[in-house]
Amino acid sequence: MNLFKIIAELEKVDPEVMDRLSHRRSALSALGDFSKKMALAAAPIAVGSAFNKAMGQNTLTDANGILNYALLLERLEYSFYDQALKAATLTGTLTGAARTAIETIRAHELAHVNLLTAALGSNAAPAPANGFDFGSAFATYPGFLTVAQALEDTGVRAYKGQAGNIPRTLNPTVGGAVVNLLTVALQIHSVEARHAAHIRYMRRGATAGAQSTIFPWINNADANGAPAVVYGAGNPVATFPAESNLAQGGISNLATGLGTTYTVEDVSAAFDEGLDNTTVTAIARATATF
Amino acid sequence: MRRRSFFQVAGATVAASTLVLAGCKDTEVVQPTTTNVLNLGSNDAGVLNYAYLLEQLEAAFYQKVLDTPPADMPKEELALFTELRDHEVIHREYLKELLGANAIPTVEFDFTSLTLTTRAGVLAAARTFEDLGVAAYNGAGKLFTSKAFLVAAGKIASVEARHAAFIHDLAQAPAFTGVVETSGRYTGMATALTPLQVIEAAVKFFPFTVITSGLPTA
Repeated sequence: MNLFKIIAELEKVDPEVMDRLSHRRSALSALGDFSKKMALAAAPIAVGSAFNKAMGQNTLTDANGILNYALLLERLEYSFYDQALKAATLTGTLTGAARTAIETIRAHELAHVNLLTAALGSNAAPAPANGFDFGSAFATYPGFLTVAQALEDTGVRAYKGQAGNIPRTLNPTVGGAVVNLLTVALQIHSVEARHAAHIRYMRRGATAGAQSTIFPWINNADANGAPAVVYGAGNPVATFPAESNLAQGGISNLATGLGTTYTVEDVSAAFDEGLDNTTVTAIARATATF
Repeated sequence: MRRRSFFQVAGATVAASTLVLAGCKDTEVVQPTTTNVLNLGSNDAGVLNYAYLLEQLEAAFYQKVLDTPPADMPKEELALFTELRDHEVIHREYLKELLGANAIPTVEFDFTSLTLTTRAGVLAAARTFEDLGVAAYNGAGKLFTSKAFLVAAGKIASVEARHAAFIHDLAQAPAFTGVVETSGRYTGMATALTPLQVIEAAVKFFPFTVITSGLPTA
């Protein structure tokens, strides 16, 4: 059995095969059977029907579209932290190391805005004319952190959802230097994940209510008070499953499919899932008016 | 008939059948040529093996800590270390399964350079491993020709970043110091390292020579 070879070959025909295989139960059990060297004859039919499905519905296809989408999210995040740091309602609680961390995160988001703007040049979309209105997001410290967690986890899912759409050989000149756009996207992606983990850790602190059931990683699709849609499935679900997803790389259930039994919490937490731009944009518009 | 047009005419189901059978033939077996050399191989399989080696390293490290925990490490932290260990073991076993016959063997590591008898020493070591892992995934993404493997690696990469941030928090280190650029062209970007740089940084943990020459560089 050589899953690697099979998937690599299938992907030459269908670039989305990995996603499709992961979430089509019939194809999954077929591949599972492969690993036990069973049902070899029947399997290709199931696999074939799996990758005949319609392509994904992510509406972004060109690099500028992806970059402008990322730019909107970064502008939103920057504005969110900037407003939080200036909010009178948070001056008594957002203090000390917590304030320093949020200031650092704000600086990162601004750097991301600047880099994306530079990369886009004259193709950069204008910032929303009236800025971002986050409503009552800054009324309390725990409430602020809840929204922050939602935005950061959404950001991680957004970048992950686009990574495969960025040509790996796209090396534009930004600020006089050649950069690899995919690597830059992955570098920002991991910064957003560090932000998300740190915000989650802050929520475990006493000021935020000592919420010890919140972890730096995402167990199941636990929303921890954030909107459930942030951790739910996107569109199409086969490409963008919920964070509770247990199927990876053609194995239908990693909790039981790797020879040893693992908990569903550990399996779901061990993999973050991408999200399509339509769902991400809807989350953004539910979080802020712009 | 050319292969591509055959697919178009015959349809995906037949094509899949052909490919799956072809997939059963293994032509890229990667095994160490001697006991002290570990060749990661080439192409996408090589990059996956590189990730597999790092996941083996991380899982082995956490297992070692849990086997003989430092006396000053609270049990709440050990419980969370157990989760970290399990995440890494799942990554390891998943990558092994993906690689199939292309997988490098299970290897053992040399942790004698680390101080694992104190909490501070354990956290310092964990920080090294997690930060290195994140930088490795950041640099490896563009090396995959397969979008599927890029996406698969991306799903793991952000979890490693969550681990890294958590370790920084446990160590009460400033959350992003040393891993996110604060000036210059890459301000706000996390570190990305090439396989060569990562293997070099981790060389003291490998009681064997890691051959990376077959890996893609762009």
